[in-house]
Amino acid sequence: MGKRLIVLVVLQLIAIFTFSAGFFPQKSVMQGDAQFWYLPDEQIHMAPKFDKLVFVVIDALRADFLFQKEASNFHFVHELLNNGKAWGYTAYSNPPTVTLPRLKGITTGSTPNFLDAILNVAEDDSSSNLKEQDSWLRQFHVHNKHMKFFGDDTWLKLFPHEFFDEVDGTNSFFVSDFEQVDLNVTRHLPKQLGNQDEWDVLILHYLGLDHIGHKGGAKSHFMPAKHREMDSIIKEIYSSIDESTLLCVMGDHGMNDLGNHGGSSAGETSAGLVFISEKLEKYEKPIAQRNVVLPISELNENYEYLTKIQQIDLVPTLASLFNLPIPKNSIGVIIADFLQLFSKDASKIKIMDNYHQLVSVAQGYSEQIDDLTAIMSRMKDIQAKLAQSATNYDYSLIAIGYAVLIGITVITTASTLRLLRLTYTTALLLGTTMILSFSTFGSSFVEEEHQLWWWITIGIVGASCISNPNEILNHLLVLVCLRFVRGWNNSGQKYFFEHTIYELLKTHNNLQWVFNTLTIFAVSCNTATHDYFSFTSSFVLASLCLVYKANWSIVNGEGLPKWLEIIVFKSCSLLQEDESSDIYSETLVPLARLFFQASITVLIARILVHKYFSKKVGFFQDVHSIISSILIFQTSSANIPLFLVFQILSGRLHYLWTAYYSSNQAILMLLNLILQHLSFFQFGSTNSIATVNLTNAYNGVSDDYNIYTVGLLMCIGNFAPSIYWSLASSKVLYKSNTDKWSVFYRAKLPQFFFYCLFGCFLLASCIILRYHLFIWSVFSPKLCYYVTWNAFMNGLIGWVVEGLLVALY
Amino acid sequence: MPVKRRSMPKKTVSFSDDETLIRTRQLNGKKMPVDHYNPPVYVRKTLLTVPFHLLPLLYHFIKCSDNYDVAKLLCFLIPLQSLYLIFQFNRSTVYGNKILKIHFGLLFISLAASLLLTLPCMAMIILLGAPMTQLLKETWILAAHCCFLAYPAVYSVFNCDFKVGIFKKYFVSIALGCWISCVVLPLDWDRDWQEWPIPIVVGAYLGAFVGYPACSYI
Repeated sequence: MGKRLIVLVVLQLIAIFTFSAGFFPQKSVMQGDAQFWYLPDEQIHMAPKFDKLVFVVIDALRADFLFQKEASNFHFVHELLNNGKAWGYTAYSNPPTVTLPRLKGITTGSTPNFLDAILNVAEDDSSSNLKEQDSWLRQFHVHNKHMKFFGDDTWLKLFPHEFFDEVDGTNSFFVSDFEQVDLNVTRHLPKQLGNQDEWDVLILHYLGLDHIGHKGGAKSHFMPAKHREMDSIIKEIYSSIDESTLLCVMGDHGMNDLGNHGGSSAGETSAGLVFISEKLEKYEKPIAQRNVVLPISELNENYEYLTKIQQIDLVPTLASLFNLPIPKNSIGVIIADFLQLFSKDASKIKIMDNYHQLVSVAQGYSEQIDDLTAIMSRMKDIQAKLAQSATNYDYSLIAIGYAVLIGITVITTASTLRLLRLTYTTALLLGTTMILSFSTFGSSFVEEEHQLWWWITIGIVGASCISNPNEILNHLLVLVCLRFVRGWNNSGQKYFFEHTIYELLKTHNNLQWVFNTLTIFAVSCNTATHDYFSFTSSFVLASLCLVYKANWSIVNGEGLPKWLEIIVFKSCSLLQEDESSDIYSETLVPLARLFFQASITVLIARILVHKYFSKKVGFFQDVHSIISSILIFQTSSANIPLFLVFQILSGRLHYLWTAYYSSNQAILMLLNLILQHLSFFQFGSTNSIATVNLTNAYNGVSDDYNIYTVGLLMCIGNFAPSIYWSLASSKVLYKSNTDKWSVFYRAKLPQFFFYCLFGCFLLASCIILRYHLFIWSVFSPKLCYYVTWNAFMNGLIGWVVEGLLVALY
Repeated sequence: MPVKRRSMPKKTVSFSDDETLIRTRQLNGKKMPVDHYNPPVYVRKTLLTVPFHLLPLLYHFIKCSDNYDVAKLLCFLIPLQSLYLIFQFNRSTVYGNKILKIHFGLLFISLAASLLLTLPCMAMIILLGAPMTQLLKETWILAAHCCFLAYPAVYSVFNCDFKVGIFKKYFVSIALGCWISCVVLPLDWDRDWQEWPIPIVVGAYLGAFVGYPACSYI
């Protein structure tokens, strides 16, 4: 059975990857540069409305950061908005709301490809290059304008260096830095503003605000100071440019209140956008701006302040203002307020040009419409239609992948049924799988998947309690632990509870760190062997872990109780001899590396002890406790006490299983699967890209990092509780007198069966619902998560890591 | 060799023809020791056990009442459940080969007990995933609905020497109804009836409606 199962697992992964390659294809784009569509001869001789452009992107600048009273500290911008020198908008940025796809949208005017969101993380990728694709940068370049760029190096990945006369890229992935990353951009300003003849377009991209969001959320106490810094930069630029320069300040996307982005919630898609120029004062303000005084005091829960436009509308607007052809793939519609800058005839030409260009993208016929307002509304219709049908699917790849998966599922189902026979356990496994499988057809069930896992969990605990009435106390304890797990974090999109344990611990520092200390030591020292060596090693690991986590909290401005701060200071002084001012942040990376080295050494030592002194008892428990301390290391601090709850819970569950169900491996593995998923969601994760947690992906990583290390650390960080549960059951599963490999394969089969059958339904729902409104915001992210669960959790952790441990056992 | 136990002589007074049949089948099937200390307790399989009143109550709740007033529903439920207990459920409960007369004192005692049970029931609902700090009043009302749906069973527990084992399935059936009805909670339809605890209350009613007649077969 073993070899056949391994082949099936590998084939299943290939099938899923093939399917994904067909489902997330590169979008077909029109090559070549755009020309004027309507009366080209006349347009070429029209004078541009502005000569120079300063384009400032402030990453994750949500609309309310610019316009709302409590959230905003852009006082200078408010002043300009009030006297009409600036026009403000809320720009809808199409999901996925991460930087790379948004930059593509802002520059080319097209709607993003879902795959761009994933490629945003994979830095080395060159397929998302815009070298050949038409954009307003390319138009500027073709028309011999001089451009300079300072800021996020994503731009340099997108555009060839020959576009720019001078560049200085900053790295967007070192999230814990708020200051330097922006100073590196601002330091170029005095020189550039002093020599304005050298450039026609100056592009700046500031990352600090986004980093603050990722670290501390939208209401972080670092926010006001950052706003004021950005505001002063805008003031500096504004005071040194003249009437013929347009200053455009915008966010590439917004953020949710936790400071994350990537999804499609109102906060994430509402970016701020302001056009600033003295020239604008001569014209009428946009209607929504006329009768309000900024900052606006009332809150808008959809983050819609002032006029709402599509972010891509920026592209034809800029093109028209600078009298350039609209980039070829743009589906933007010129912002109506700017038409008053043109004479009546010229504005008609610009609208008609935009209209013909849009029709060419839609590959439709241009109807003859003379009324300009009718054309504007017709363009909006075309835009909405185009934005929906974003991709072409590669149906042959999809079909191959799906057919292979179906074949594997049939074989797996047959062998699962043969192994388990028709028992209650089989019914339970099948029931769980079918409930989850059918749920993939409902967008709300995908969003609220944690509820389903919870529902199944309490169902099973309840059933077990009824069938073993003399174990009520243990079942109650299990239920209490589970309730703690559930109450720890919010998950899903629908319900948001303010009083989660996570929030409680965040506000009560002392309590949090008492529990953290307790958890770290309790979990690390939970070894089966009680000799000097194992005690010392686990004690050292636990101390290192605690000191690093505490130090991390100091560096990131979260509070820390006094007693712990003293300990951290003492230990940092050990590492760092010279008493520099910034002892905490300088020891952060060495500490993390020390921890990783120490834990791997201890792990190898334990395996060697096992090999040469054949200490079989407690091998899995010891390894599990070492791995658990690595998992804790990769967990954000207010989630750490969850591992203590896990410890109690797994103790009770394993006791109950050994006492009542010990002959039934399948039920243990089903429980294992359920807890993997439940704890994953209750750690604060959801099925949306927005909750991918990057905070622990850079532990021990310095500036010149390797993308694969960061990726691995990110996966461990996000799947920490699932890894814990995945490896937990091996403690009770493997007994010394049985054939370990047959136990291994028998234990792996139920979970693999789940992944196969669930996959069949999920992929089917992705194909059937491919024109659904939520395909990009709900179903595709779920597909990505499914691929990760298969490749990382089932493949790497379940088969490779556990298989290795079993081989060494 | 264990001494063979002599079974009690069967009583000749019977309230219905099928009763003796069932009882003998039960006695034969389970080999239940029947003596003075262990009188047989069971619920007869008759149409009497069907809580018909729950259906019009639910109909009224869903179709007629405006904005799903769960508190008002509770006010209707308690008297109707008492009537159901007096005229239907008690008449089908057999204790020691006979059907006990309704005991009015106990009726009130068990009513109070049900009321008291709302608190552990509420704790249980929270343990099973209801919000901890919000919507506590709603959760309590849900607990009250569950407890008063279980009221006939609670009375019978009191009346039959605390033989909880026999009536456990009635409580389980209500809980099962609640559990199944949770499915509609995550849906994003944003309907009024998705408000906590309306779907669970309806589920509890359906669970009781199916459970009361079905449990005598289990």
